[in-house]
Amino acid sequence: MRQRSADRLTQEDPRRFEEIFLPRLDAAYNLARWIIRHDPDAQDVVQDAYVRAFKGFQRFRGGGNSKAWFLTIVRNTAYTLLNKRAAKENLIPYEEERHANIILIDDPDNELPAEAQKEYLQRALERLPLEFREVIILYELEGLSYKELASTLGIPVGTVMSRLSRARRRLRQEFAGVRHSE
Amino acid sequence: MNCEEANRFLDAYLDRELDLRRYPELDQHLRVCPSCQSLAHEFQEFRSLFAASAPYQAPSQLRAKVLAAVRQQQVKHAFAFLRQPWVYATGVVVLSLFLALNILFPDAAGELFRQAVLRHSHSLASHHPVDIASANPQVVKTWFAAKLDFVPPVVSFPASGYVLFGGRVDVIQNRLVAALVYKRDKDAVTLFCWAPKKEHLPKSDHLIEGYHVSTWSNAEWNYILVSKLSDREMDQFVDSFRVHIQSGAYF
Repeated sequence: MRQRSADRLTQEDPRRFEEIFLPRLDAAYNLARWIIRHDPDAQDVVQDAYVRAFKGFQRFRGGGNSKAWFLTIVRNTAYTLLNKRAAKENLIPYEEERHANIILIDDPDNELPAEAQKEYLQRALERLPLEFREVIILYELEGLSYKELASTLGIPVGTVMSRLSRARRRLRQEFAGVRHSE
Repeated sequence: MNCEEANRFLDAYLDRELDLRRYPELDQHLRVCPSCQSLAHEFQEFRSLFAASAPYQAPSQLRAKVLAAVRQQQVKHAFAFLRQPWVYATGVVVLSLFLALNILFPDAAGELFRQAVLRHSHSLASHHPVDIASANPQVVKTWFAAKLDFVPPVVSFPASGYVLFGGRVDVIQNRLVAALVYKRDKDAVTLFCWAPKKEHLPKSDHLIEGYHVSTWSNAEWNYILVSKLSDREMDQFVDSFRVHIQSGAYF
């Protein structure tokens, strides 16, 4: 093995792994659940991801952003399971709206109560294609920056910018759709 | 910058992620364009909905499962580390580390699986692998209800090729467990199942003395599957079983 004898149990101390990554349990589950949409599978994904993260921890060695690194592992694990179950959602590219300036939330004076808002948002999110849903979840709920998103999703920052923008546009449409179907 | 461009970059601007060159341009455009201002306001309003939304929280038993899985890895990691040649040169350190780790992370789970394998192989070698022989899940379930203080999920999925052979009560590491036996041609699998008091089994796969062991759990049950089937066949069995459990197609 080529590892230096100096970085032994101190640097890769398994206890450090638990300290750093256990607090991310909710974030990991949230991401897995939004991708997989099925609780038992999401739990399996989280477990597998933690094991993978532990194994990769030696190489990672605390350099760089551990949150984005870890969420990337969760995401990859979730996709592996999705592919395995061949339960892929359609990733057909969304056709751009021609009239981009249309304001999509009408009736701004008619405020929804908070509970209804939460529920409509949730339903609207569920209707998004996976590609849009995950970028919104990662940005809005996990608070990743564009740069972190780029690294987690394996795409350039410019693509993050446009995908997030299109995702939000679609989300606003779905939200209006959900709202009007009530 | 015109309105069309402004619209494209508006989200990034509100995210404060717009690049240095475009930022002042968009900023300036917003000052002079009321319709884009209005749009920005709409976008901002919509985004504030997320402030109220709560992400999913990890179910309570997931934490225990994750800890168990990680600690299993820690044991493996520690023992792999110990096998390197230079470590043996520092004999005392190695010995005390070995002891400390055994105390901190005892291999109780490994012993559990070994016993499951023993029970599986002994029962099949005997003339009496089941106490209730029936392919009817309801009959088997009723029988268990009279014998144990929990009633295991019993399902039948003959389409997969596995036929429910029957069940028995077994003991593994001082626990009473339900043992369900399924057969397909010459192969037999035993599915051990019990309601955990505290610890939930992490999902794992093992090869012990030539037998494949798969373990998993959900909110209500711990499962251990033992057989001589291949990895893939084990996976297929587990998938069929779980699909039937989740679809509620059990009695």
